[in-house]
Order: sequence, then C-alpha cells, then structure tokens
Amino acid sequence: MKTRTLLEKLGHFLGQDKASQREEMKSIREVLKKLKDKEKHLREELDRDLDQDERHEVQAKLDVVHAQRLKGLDRVKELRAEHSGSGKSKAAD
Amino acid sequence: MQRLWLAAIFLLLGYTFWISPDLSEIAAGIALFMFGMRSLETGFKTFTGGPLENALRRSTSRLWKAIGFGIATTTVMQSSTLISLLTISFVSAEMITLAGGIGIIMGANLGTTTGAWLIAGFGLRVDIAAYAMPMLVFGVILLFNQGRTLKGLGYLLLGLAFLFLGIHFMKEGFEPFQARFDLAAYSVPGITGVLLFTLLGMAATFVMQSSHATLLLIIAALATGQVSYENALALAIGANLGTTITAVIGGWTAAVGGRRLAAAHVLFNLLTAAAAILLIQQMAWTVDRVADLVGIAEDDFLLKLALFHTLFNLLGVVMLAPFVGVMERLLTRHITFTRKPAEQPRFLYPEALKTPATAVSAVRNEVGHLYDNAYGLIALGIGLRRSVIDSRQSLTEAVRGTRRLIALDLDEVYETKIKSLHSAIVAFIGEVQQRELTEEWTQQLNQLQEASHDIVEAVKATKHLRKNLTRHGMSPDPAIRERYDALRIQIAKLLREIQVLRTEEPGAVTSLSLDPLRLALQTEHRRNMESINQMIRSRRLAPYVATSIINDAGYAFGVGENLIEASRALLISPEQTERIAGERLALDEQDLARIANAARSTVYEPNHRDLTP
Repeated sequence: MKTRTLLEKLGHFLGQDKASQREEMKSIREVLKKLKDKEKHLREELDRDLDQDERHEVQAKLDVVHAQRLKGLDRVKELRAEHSGSGKSKAAD
Repeated sequence: MQRLWLAAIFLLLGYTFWISPDLSEIAAGIALFMFGMRSLETGFKTFTGGPLENALRRSTSRLWKAIGFGIATTTVMQSSTLISLLTISFVSAEMITLAGGIGIIMGANLGTTTGAWLIAGFGLRVDIAAYAMPMLVFGVILLFNQGRTLKGLGYLLLGLAFLFLGIHFMKEGFEPFQARFDLAAYSVPGITGVLLFTLLGMAATFVMQSSHATLLLIIAALATGQVSYENALALAIGANLGTTITAVIGGWTAAVGGRRLAAAHVLFNLLTAAAAILLIQQMAWTVDRVADLVGIAEDDFLLKLALFHTLFNLLGVVMLAPFVGVMERLLTRHITFTRKPAEQPRFLYPEALKTPATAVSAVRNEVGHLYDNAYGLIALGIGLRRSVIDSRQSLTEAVRGTRRLIALDLDEVYETKIKSLHSAIVAFIGEVQQRELTEEWTQQLNQLQEASHDIVEAVKATKHLRKNLTRHGMSPDPAIRERYDALRIQIAKLLREIQVLRTEEPGAVTSLSLDPLRLALQTEHRRNMESINQMIRSRRLAPYVATSIINDAGYAFGVGENLIEASRALLISPEQTERIAGERLALDEQDLARIANAARSTVYEPNHRDLTP
C-alpha cells in the first residue's frame, strides 16, 4: 500500500467520531424539520371545531412534539459546541 | 347453491298452494307462528344484557334453582331454543358453570311443554284470533316509539299476536282435511311406527326451527283426526329431539364450555327420548291415569298429548338430575378444546438466515405478524371486534353500547396464535445469533425479541383483565360499569392509535409518535386511579369490587405499556443514524411527568418556547 493511501486511511479513522457526529446532526435536523411540520399540522388541527376530549388529546400531542423538538435543538447545540470545541483544541495544538 | 334451493322451495310451495288452498292456509299459519317466535325473540333480546343476565347468574348456584329458572324463563318466553342459545353463550363466557347450564337446559325442556298446554287447552277452543287483533295494534304503536324498552314490549306483543294468528290459521287449514282424507289410515303400528313418527317430528322441528310449531301441527292434526294418538306421542318425542339441532349449531361455534353444554343438551334429550320410546306403553298408561286424576276426559287427546309432553320431559329430568355431576365430569374430560394446529410463522424461512439483514427483516415481519394476532385477540378480550377499532366509529359509544362480551377461549387462542409464534421467533433469533453478527444487528435482534416478549406480556395482562371483565364488566351497577368501560376505552384507543401509526412509514418521527401515547396512557391511568379512590371514599364502590378494579387498572396499564414498547421496535427506522436521532429526541419518564403536571396545573395555557433555530 502506498504511503499516501495509508495516511488517508489513518486520517479517515481518526476523523470517524467527527463524521458520525456530523451524520447525527444532519439526521436530527431532518427529524426536527419533520417534527416542525407535524407541530404546524397539530396547531391547525387545534383551530378546528373539536370537542373537549379531542382538544386535550391534540394539545397533549402538541406538547410532546414541542418537547421533542426542544430536546433535538439542545442536542444540535451540544453537537455544535463539541464540534467547535474540538476545532479550537486542534487549532491550539 | 343456496339460491337454487330457495328457488326449488319457492316452486314446490307455489305448486302446493296452487293445488291445495287449504295447505296454503296451514303454511301461512306456520309462517305467522314462526314470525311470531322471531318477534318474541327480538323482544326478549332487548331486555337481555341487564336483568335477565343477572337473574341467570344468581339462579344457577344450585341445581334445583337452575331447573326452576329454566322452567320459569322458558314458560314466560315460550322459546326453549332462545334460552338454550343464551345459556350456551353464558357457559362459553364462563359466567355460569356447566352444571348450572345443564340445569337450565333441563328446566327449559320442561318449561317448553307449557306451550303444548297453551295450544291444546286454550288455542283450539277459544277464538284466539280475536285476541290477536288488539295485540297487533298495540304492538305496532309501541314499535313506533324511540325508547328501547317500549320497542321491546312492542315486539313481544306482536310476537304473541302472530303466534295466536298462526294457531288460528293452522286450525282453519286442517279442518277441511278432516272430511276429505284420513291420514290416520296411514299410521304405522308398533315400534316401527313410533320410530318413524319420532323421525318425522324431529325433521319437522328442524325445518321449522320450532318445537312449538311442530306441536301445534301435531295437535291440530290430532284434533282433526289426521294422526292417531300413539303416532302423535311419537311425533312429540321427535319434536323434543329436533330442538337440540339448533342448540348443536349454536354450540358448534361456541367456546369449549358452550360445546360441552350443547353436548349435554343432546345427551339429555336423546336419553329422555330413548326412555320415552322404550316406555311408550307405560307412559301412555300413566297419562291415562293422571288424566283421570286431574279430570281430563278420556277422549280429550289434545290435553292428553300436552300431559304426555310434560310427563316424558319430567321423566327425563327425574332420571338424569341425580347424574348432572357425573355428566359434567364426563363432558369436561371428553370435550376438551380440540387444539387447533398452532399458527405457523409466515416469514421465518431457512433462506432468511443467509444474511443478517434478511434475518432481521424476517424477524421484524414475524413480530409484526405476532402483533397482528395479539391485536385481534386483545380487541376481542375487551369485547370489541377488530373491525370496530379499525373503523372510524366512536369507541366510547361502541364500549358503552356493549351488552355482552364476545365468547372467547383466550387460553386456546393464546396457545395457538401467540405462544407458538413467540417460540418460533425466539428459536429463529437463537439460530441467527449463532452466526457472526455486528453489534448493530445483535442489538436489533435483541430489541425484536424484547418486542415479541412485550406482546406476549400484553396478551397475558389481557387474560387477567378478561377474568374480571366477564364478571363485572357488564355490571348493572353504573359505578362498576363506568370503571370497566373506562379501562376498555383506554385499551381500544391505544390499539387504534398504534394501528394508524403502523400504516405509516417506519422512521424516527413515527416511533417518536409513540411518546404522546405513553403520555396519554399515564394520564389516563392516573385519572382512573383517582376516580376509583374517589368512588371508594364516597362509598359508590364496595371495597371487594374496588380492589378488583384497581388490579384490572394495573393490567390495562400493563397491556398499554407493553403494546407501546413492542410497537417501538416495529416502527423504528431501519437506518442507524435516523434511529439514533429518534432515540435522542424520545422523551423519558421525567419529560413526560413534566408535561403531565403542566397540563394538570393549568386549564390549558401552553407556554411553548420559540424554537426557531
């Protein structure tokens, strides 16, 4: 194996954690987008003429989706911070 | 085929009516009589679900009570078939014991003989068609009412009116034959005649689905001298045997308890008929002596036939009542549930073992198959058909409108449709894991095995819940009924929501949609427990029932939790990264508790943060 190929493989191996973080961030963003649509849909449903029980059910779903989105956003922030943190430490090295 | 039969019957009847208007009058009488029976059944069915069922349960603790109950209800309802079928359904649902059921059947056989007295003593002497007219009018007026009870009463009156009219027309139809023919000339003497007319009576009852209609025919034919007294006795024995056919058909489709009772019914009627045939001379002699004693004229064969009908059924009861315990043990030993061949896995083939991806996919599909079976079983367990849950029908209305739980042998179905598949899944996963697998595949297989186990646990919890549901679920006490309805609605709603999610594409968003279901389950469970405690405090619930309901609320919660967990494994994304994203966003117990508390503490003023990134 050529030295260059070996170095490339090594670089890829060392950067795997970062890549998986990027993948996770991308995936969470996609899910967040779908959840945002779902939240919008639920809000529209709340505007419809619903009885009290149905209203409570939709509201509960809305609360859960909202909480899930919050969790997702917090995780995105966390990942960003980790990403920028590792970038800074590398720069310091 | 059915249409051909119908056309043939129509043609035959049409031809018969064309050649003999008198026969058409007899046939019209039978038709009216049978329609009357049907109306009576409809009328009584509107009253089932409440008082009748409670009375059934209370009246079967002792054999004599059960026999008395059978006599009384059949005398009032004038349909041993209806009572037999209802009893079969109660024994199937394990609401009454097999011995109690046998007692009722014995009583029903005696009770049905009052019909013969009614027809012989009253029907052919008085112009009963005159009584039928006002009944028809009042019945129809009541039918136009919206109220269930009044409508039921309307059906009862109409039923009686048509019965009376039927008797009238049959009597009228037979009169001309008296002058023209003498069917009595065709009577067969000796045991051959007895057997032949017994078979005839049986066939007539089977065709008309009513021993009363047959008896009426026999009495009318006897009154006009068309059959001899001896042959009429044999016909009555046959009529008694003919009623068991409907019970056998009813029992065929019932659970094992119902099948045992149907067999007991056949056994009782067969032995009674055999004894009556063997002792027919002695029976006829006894009838003459008793008729003398009670002042029935020697040539009054109609009342004598009614007396014979009662005496030979009484003979059966006296002869077999001491052996009810033995009969119960024998039937329990010999009629066990014919274990249906266990359901075979649909997706677990050896070829699927070739790659981890195909193996996991096969297991996932099989767990889905298991879930489908469990879904149908749990729905039936809570007294709802799967089609009701799949529809858009209001579940609250469906639950509140339930008058009787669907008969179900949960143990049998569990063995054939749940345990067999779960075992196959576990065995298959074991085989897959003998091969080299990455951590990811192993994890997925473990999740699926866990899901399979969760499904089994959900069904087991349903089995526990079902026991008390059959006992208290249809209680006439509104407080108890309300609590059990709430548990049934809770499970039914969850089944419906999960079913909707299962039609969606598996993925993070779909699996995250299970979180609102968890929240709803927890909220509903808490609300249930609060209501039960409140009812105990206000003494609306007796402590012994309350403890049952508390346990059952726990089982209902268990069903829900297990179903949600099992669904998570089925709805999860096949993509690893998306799966991880879903796991990150899924809410934990604390998150759910926080949302539930916020919803409880506010009327509802959601304070949602702006989430624009």
